Amino acid sequence: MGYLFDPDNWEWLTTGNNAQFVFEGFLVNIQIALIAMVLSLIVGLVLALARLGRNRLITGAVGVWIDIWRNVPLLLLILYVYLAMPQPWKETWENLAPGFLSDVLQDGSVFAALIALVLYNSAVLAEIMRAGILSLDRGQNEAAVALGLTYWQRMRIVILPQGLRRMLPATVSQLITLNKDTTLVSIIAIQEVMRHGRILTGQNFFGGVQAPILQVFLFIGALFIVTNLALSRLSHSLEIREQERTGTTVEPVTGLEDQVVIAQARDS
Amino acid sequence: MSSLVELLTENFGALASGFWVTCRLVVGSFILAAIVGTLVAGLRIAPSKWLQRLGGIYVETFRNVPLLVLLVISYAGLRRSGVAIDTWTAGIGALGLYTAAYFAEVLRSGVFAVSRGQIEASLSLGFDYPQTLRRIVLPQALRTVISPVGSITIAMIKNSAIVGAALALNDMLKEARILNSQTFETEAAFFWAVVGYLILTLAATVAIRVLEQRYAIRR
Repeated sequence: MGYLFDPDNWEWLTTGNNAQFVFEGFLVNIQIALIAMVLSLIVGLVLALARLGRNRLITGAVGVWIDIWRNVPLLLLILYVYLAMPQPWKETWENLAPGFLSDVLQDGSVFAALIALVLYNSAVLAEIMRAGILSLDRGQNEAAVALGLTYWQRMRIVILPQGLRRMLPATVSQLITLNKDTTLVSIIAIQEVMRHGRILTGQNFFGGVQAPILQVFLFIGALFIVTNLALSRLSHSLEIREQERTGTTVEPVTGLEDQVVIAQARDS
Repeated sequence: MSSLVELLTENFGALASGFWVTCRLVVGSFILAAIVGTLVAGLRIAPSKWLQRLGGIYVETFRNVPLLVLLVISYAGLRRSGVAIDTWTAGIGALGLYTAAYFAEVLRSGVFAVSRGQIEASLSLGFDYPQTLRRIVLPQALRTVISPVGSITIAMIKNSAIVGAALALNDMLKEARILNSQTFETEAAFFWAVVGYLILTLAATVAIRVLEQRYAIRR
């Protein structure tokens, strides 16, 4: 305990621009997380709809696709996509990456990281959305058919708003997992917060002495706790707002790494 | 195709040892996660507000920190601060404590699935609180959480790949990376790593299915 709170060991935080250096790395994580979140949600929704379609062949193929990417360790996926990606792809990203992204994200390896993150998370999110849609009462769809709505109208007006709202907590918990998983891209040498932490704790950076690893990474961990708690707060307030507006209750779902678990509890 | 088989037959020893390391990691972490997770779940449902808060802090901390950060803290961080921790303790400790947070959440949801009336009935029959938990609540709670615990276990098997990357433990993925750098057979090396992880996740899936059929309470 003495070591942990010894002011000397926290001196690095206020020395030079160390804190700024950590924040710069963290900003890279946030950007990667945001891009991956948006893409995964879109791809996940498309996959979920395809999985629930009427064509047997398509639903089967999409089911296999989802199961493959969901069951591979994400780290392995990131490494593999990075190693196997043809050079021209990386160059295409380097040429086409939007200018508002920071310099680190202009690198080709970020493209590999994004592909891996989206492959994995879209598969998990597709399963979550599918579970949400399937949990709806059959009558909802039947009533919509009886009203003469087309497939897309049914989806847009009746099914999706209800199904996705139910799965909001599970979706957010998966997005939190995604946010944490952005640290894994450090393995393909993207200069994000883990790498920056490593540089800080390396020799001769902190005025000739090493910044203490324990404190630096506790600080980084705290950054993640703050952002992730903010995310779950946001989802919680969204839930409450939806409940007040629509009078529906959201399925209680516990945050479970990358799996959906709907608590059987509906306390009596 | 032939290079696939060739890579396996020529490097079977390395791949098998990686598989074995991953197995030990997973089993050790599972045991730790089960023990700590149960204790934390116990805190979360304790009759005292302060104990509940303590359990809540544990869950929120370990659920919101990336596993990679935990691993760096538990090995490099502790070693630099003078704690002589070895790679196995750090790896199993970090993965186990991380998973324990999810374990606790699932157990808690299982406990809430046991209706209040049963707890009240048990208390009015003269059981005290710990007895009620042990004899009435936990046996039912454990049986309702079999399938979510399986999901956590599968997630943990996949997360074990992160341990090998962060620490000097030659697990499945690490062995595949070594093979890749030696032979440049990226596809083959990673293919066999995926097969290794699939064996473990499938085994977990089957075990859960068997347990579910035997014990699960369907509501």
